[in-house]
Order: sequence, then C-alpha cells, then structure tokens
Amino acid sequence: MRTYPLHGILGVGVLLALGLYAQRLGFLPAWAAWGLWAGYLPLALWGLLWGGWRAVPLALGLLAPLFPPLAFLGPLGAALALGRTLPEKAQAAFYGWALVWPALALLLVWQVFPTLYAFYLSLFDRVNFLRPAAFAGLQNYRILLEDPLFWRALGNTFWYVVFTVPTGLLLATFVAILLNTRVAFLGLYRTLFFLPYITALTAAAAVWRWIYHPEFGFLNWLLRTPGLDWLNTPTGVFALLLRPLGIEVQGFWAGPSLAFVAVMAMSVWHFLGYQVVILLAGLQAIPKEYYEAAELDGATFWQRHRLITWPLLSPTTFFLFTLGLIGAFQVFTQVYVLTPTGGVLQDTLTLAFYLYNKGFRDSDFSYASAIAMVTFLIILALTLVQRRVLERRVNYEV
Amino acid sequence: MRFRLSLLGVHLVLLVGGGIMAFPFYWMLATSFKSPQEALQAQPVWVPERIKPANWFKAARLGDSPLWGGLGPGRSAELFFPGPEGLPPRALVPRSPGAFFDPVADGTKVEVARGEGGWWVRLTNTGEAGFRRVPLVVLWPKGVPLEPPLPPDALRSQGEYWRLEWVNAVPGALGYVFHNYLEAWDAAPWGRYFFVSFFTASVQVAVGLFLAALAAFALARIPFPGKEAVFVLILATMMVPGEVLLIPNYVLLARLGWLDTYYALIVPWLASVFGIFLLRQFYLSLPQDLFDAARIDGAGYLTQLFRIALPLSLPGLVSYGIFTFLGAYNALLWPLIVTQSPEMRTVQLGLLAFVSEAGSDYGALMAASAFVIAPVVLGYFVAQRQFIQGIARTGLK
Repeated sequence: MRTYPLHGILGVGVLLALGLYAQRLGFLPAWAAWGLWAGYLPLALWGLLWGGWRAVPLALGLLAPLFPPLAFLGPLGAALALGRTLPEKAQAAFYGWALVWPALALLLVWQVFPTLYAFYLSLFDRVNFLRPAAFAGLQNYRILLEDPLFWRALGNTFWYVVFTVPTGLLLATFVAILLNTRVAFLGLYRTLFFLPYITALTAAAAVWRWIYHPEFGFLNWLLRTPGLDWLNTPTGVFALLLRPLGIEVQGFWAGPSLAFVAVMAMSVWHFLGYQVVILLAGLQAIPKEYYEAAELDGATFWQRHRLITWPLLSPTTFFLFTLGLIGAFQVFTQVYVLTPTGGVLQDTLTLAFYLYNKGFRDSDFSYASAIAMVTFLIILALTLVQRRVLERRVNYEV
Repeated sequence: MRFRLSLLGVHLVLLVGGGIMAFPFYWMLATSFKSPQEALQAQPVWVPERIKPANWFKAARLGDSPLWGGLGPGRSAELFFPGPEGLPPRALVPRSPGAFFDPVADGTKVEVARGEGGWWVRLTNTGEAGFRRVPLVVLWPKGVPLEPPLPPDALRSQGEYWRLEWVNAVPGALGYVFHNYLEAWDAAPWGRYFFVSFFTASVQVAVGLFLAALAAFALARIPFPGKEAVFVLILATMMVPGEVLLIPNYVLLARLGWLDTYYALIVPWLASVFGIFLLRQFYLSLPQDLFDAARIDGAGYLTQLFRIALPLSLPGLVSYGIFTFLGAYNALLWPLIVTQSPEMRTVQLGLLAFVSEAGSDYGALMAASAFVIAPVVLGYFVAQRQFIQGIARTGLK
C-alpha cells in the first residue's frame, strides 16, 4: 500500500483557508475557493480510507467554508492522532511542510501575492477607493514613459547611485583598512563610525536639517557661506562648479541639485558605519599569511592592498554594492524629512518618493503600481547585469 | 620611528573622521541644551549656559524643589539682582505666550522691592494650582552693571532698558538643564508613541523569530519533498523591492479593515526572508551527529528544533532580533502610510509631526530627536559586541 501524502493535504488545506479568506475579501472569485475545496475532498476521503478512525480529523477540513482555519487544523489534528504510526519518510515530509507553512503562508500573502497584485493594479485606470476602476491595459506604462517627473525621479536616483555608492564604499574601505591595523582604541573608533547607522533616519535627518539651516546652520558658518539655502537650491552641482569657468550646462547634465547632494551627504554619513562593519569583518577573514608573505617579498603598502586586500575583499564589496544599488531605489525617509515637498522644482524627487506622492497624496494606486513595477524591472535588470559582469571577477579563489 | 609616525597618522585620520561622524550628535545634544537665543546665533555657541555647573547651583535655589523647581500655591520665589539704588528695574510675567506656554502661570504676582545692595524680584503664586514654569521678563536700566541670579534665556535691548527673558524663573537644577527636553516631552504624547513603537517592534521580533526558526530548521535539517521549490520561492521574494509592496499591501490591509491598527504595523513584516536565510545558515553549520544522536534517543523533529538547534543558534537569533528591531523602530514610510490617528503613531511619526510643528524651536526639536534615538543608542552601549557582530553577520553569505 502506498504512503498517504499527509503533507499534501496540509498544503491544500492551507491554500484552501487562504483562498476562502481571499474570496471573502473579494480578491478571488467564488469558484476558485470551491475548486480548492473540491481538491481537498478526494484527498480527505483517501486519508479516511487509508488511516481509519485516526484520520477522522481530516474530515473537519471539509467544514472550512464555515470556519476557514479548519482547513489546516484538520490535517494537523490527523497528524497528531496518527503520530508514530506514520512511516519515517512521511513524518519527515509532514513536519518539514508543517514547519515551513507558517512563514511561507505569510510570505505568500504579504509578498508574493502583492507583487502579482501590483502588476494587476497597474493595468487599471486610476484605482482608488472612490469609484470602480476601468481596465486600461498598458496605458499607465505609456503615460509613465512620457512623464517628465518620472524621468526626473529616475535621473535623480541615477545620480544618487553614482554619487553615494562609490563614495561610501571607498570611504568605508579606507576606514576599515585603518581599523584593521590593530590600532588602539578600536572600540571607540568603531563606535564613532557605527553610531549614525543605528540612529533613526528621521531623527538624523532632523538634525541635519538644522545643520543645513540657511541662517543659523553650522555648515554655513563653517564654510563661510552665510545664507546659502542648501536644501532649497535646485541648481545642479556640475552647473555650479562649471559656471566660474564660463561653461553652462543644462538639464540632466547639470547634475543633481545642491539640495540633493546635501541629502546624499547625509545618507553617506548614515550608512558608512554599516559598510565599515561589514568590510571589517571581510578584512578579518583574509588570512594573515598572505600579508606576511607579501611583506617578505618586499611588497609596499599599496601593493599589498591592491593585490591582496582588493581582490579578496571583492565578494564583500560586491555585496555592499548590490545592497547600495537596491537601497538607492528605495530612498525615501531622509528625502522626505529634509525636503518634505520633494524640493524646489522637484529636484530631490526619488522614485520611492514619487510613488508615495502618486499613491498616497494623489490616491492613484494604479499609476503608483506602474511606477513600482518599472522600478522592480530596473532593479532586476541591474542585478542580473551586475551578476553577469561583476561576479566573474569577484570569485578570485586562491 | 617611521612605524610610530605612521601609527600617529592612522590615529589622526581616524580621529578626524570619527569627529566628523560624531559631530551631528554633538550638535544635536548641544542644541538641545540651548535657549532659543543661543540656538539662533550666526556664531555657533559651543557650550550652552545650561550645561555650565555654576548655573546649576543658581537654578537649584529657584523654585520649590532644588531638582525640579516649580511654584506651589501660596509659595513664592525670590530673585536677587545686585545693583545700586536708583531707577528700579521692572518685572513682569509675559502675556504673549511662546509655543509651549503654561497658561496657569497667569495668576503669578510680581513685586520688585529694594533690599540691601540690590533689588529683589518676588514671584508669588496666588492661585490654587502649582506651576512648573513661570516665564519672567525683567527690564533692567541700561548703564547699571548687570549681575542676574541666573543667565537669562534671552537678552534684548528695549529703549532705556535691557530686556532679560527667562522661559522659566523657577526651574530647579534639572528643570533648568533639561528645559527643552521637558518642553518637547510635554508637547506630544510621547509615552504613547514609545509604547506603540516598542510594542510593535517587540512583537515583530518575537513572532518573526519563532516563524523564521521553524522554517529555517525545516529547510536546513528535514528532507521533505518540495524543499527545493520552497527555497526557490523564498529566494525569489528576496528580489522584490519593498516599495512594490506598499500599494498592494495597503489595499489588502484596507480590505481587512486593519488600517490604523497594530495589525497593520506588525503582520505584514512577520515573515522575514532575511531571518530564514540567516538561521538556515546557522542550522546548516551545526554538526549532523548532534541530530543523529537525538534521533537515536527518540527525539522527534520538534524536540530537535527546540532542545538542540534553537539554543545553539543564539547568536543568529540575537543578530536577527537586533536587525528586525532596528528596522521596525526606525521605520518611517510604512507607519506613515498605514496609520492616521495620533494613538497609533510610532515614535518616528511623532518626531516627523514634531519637526513640522516645532517651527524655529530648535532646542526642543533636538531634544526630541535625542530622546527618540536614546533607546537604540543605550541598547548599543549595553550590548556593543552583539550589535557589531550581529550586523557584521548580515554580510556573510
């Protein structure tokens, strides 16, 4: 006699419960929920035939339309009743799935389904709670491609990546190498660099806003630039730098605005500690023997770091680079606190900020979802390209 | 000698860098102790009056209690201004309240009397209730040397007089030093905000940890059919950036009727792919012999998980706990979207509201920022090693 797939009916039961709730909330048509119920029925009957009276709790699941959790409580009860009469393999299968399902069900509900639902929403015309939505196909995406604000947000995000990711990584590598020289007071220095990272971005941004204050800000006093309104200056930094040379640049090539650079400086400050800690852990994992051997061969400081540290650290750098890239597409908090309106002329608008504006200020969920999907695609493409191009150089096994 | 020099250089670079990193904290704390006039100076004030110990003793003499000050009903406080006989100073409780004015202090009687070698300004509470704050303005004739009993919070010129302003003339030592903190704390229901933040973050950590441990154990240690598929699915959800989930999860919460509830702040973040991966890595690193031995002794999978795997993976659990708590406590965007009522505000939302309300009261704003970050910073100093290693572990594959 073949073993009864108890883990299978558990899975169907979980899906049935979720399906019933989804149907009640209007996400699924009734036939889908009934289809799952119909899938449960034969499995339950098979179970009764196979396990006899001990498998009776399986039948409880058939009452799930009355109380959805019964759909998975039934199989759980049956497993308890059957206990060790189940063969070893079936037990492993059942417990494996039973332990995975709580987390998996939550992931399905709050991450997998929403991703698909975001795409579905983006196909409609102005979804909100006020009126029924009309199917619009890819219209939102067409509008999006001609939306100057979207391109602005994308351009800003591009500059954010170009400015913050390499700067942060270089500074962090430098600091981590210094900290790795068995310097005294390591704990003190590490704390100094690390504290900004655990500081809430909201509070940190409030402090930086005060430092950037045009009249009484510390930065203006330090740089002797009284009255310079850092966070409300939409002029691009390249334009500002090239103006004295008599070169005028316009549009995208004027670079990120001064306001946005101010936001970036704050972000680099905030995330530096995290990168330092990760890189320091990476550095400490490099065997000391390599350096000793290099020293015997008379390698200089730069040679040692260029030929040993850099290649052996590259998996860590790669990890931080990927993280920085993904993080850049989600920058919101510091921008929102430092420049609540998205800056003069929307010069500090980021993709996440634009999405927030469209979705929750203008209540246009479908357009916001279209922004989300495009962002997702860009991140996906960038990550894949990065894998292809960079990963080959990263694995420098010795 | 060359070695010593380079070491000095390393220290120098690290000190300068560390100084730059720490400066915003110093500036936040310094400003949080400043009076409005000190904060709004074009030339920065490095050491505010309120953190000079000499002034603490002066402040301790003012008010009913030496620590917290205040003026009970029928009580009075006296401020002594040394000065020659002549044009008497004038004193009043200002009628135009500031942002966080205590309206009860209205019933204070102010008298100016000549004493030996100077002038007494006597404040008497004629009302029924006690005050914590009594603002005071003293007009002191110009040309007469001025030696106030407590440095004024603002000093302005007004015609023939110097106008000396105190935000609180009966502070007590702590009330004087922490004036901005008290103002900020009283301006919003911070206790409630802290409760919401701590409660939601703790539940997220506790339940999330439990669920992640279950799933990670199954994925690492139990051979079950479909494991590969589950693993690939979990990997795939990792690719989805958080902002894609904002809108659909908001819609889902709205249909569930969970907006503006604790559920909205907790449930969507309970299952963590990061946590599952981290713990799975830990369980994989444990020797298989342990589990085989337990199996021979008749331990089922649940016993293996709770009696062997969980206790041995404590560092991983701590790492996940710190990371999740930080993320939950410091989050702004998600609470901003799913809550509306002040009762459901987290600390970060409270601070955000305060940023827009406080206007130019930077002292109170910086005080609020300071106590918002205080729990995490204190936690860091208590468990420094766990913090650093916990974060470092997130970088290991």
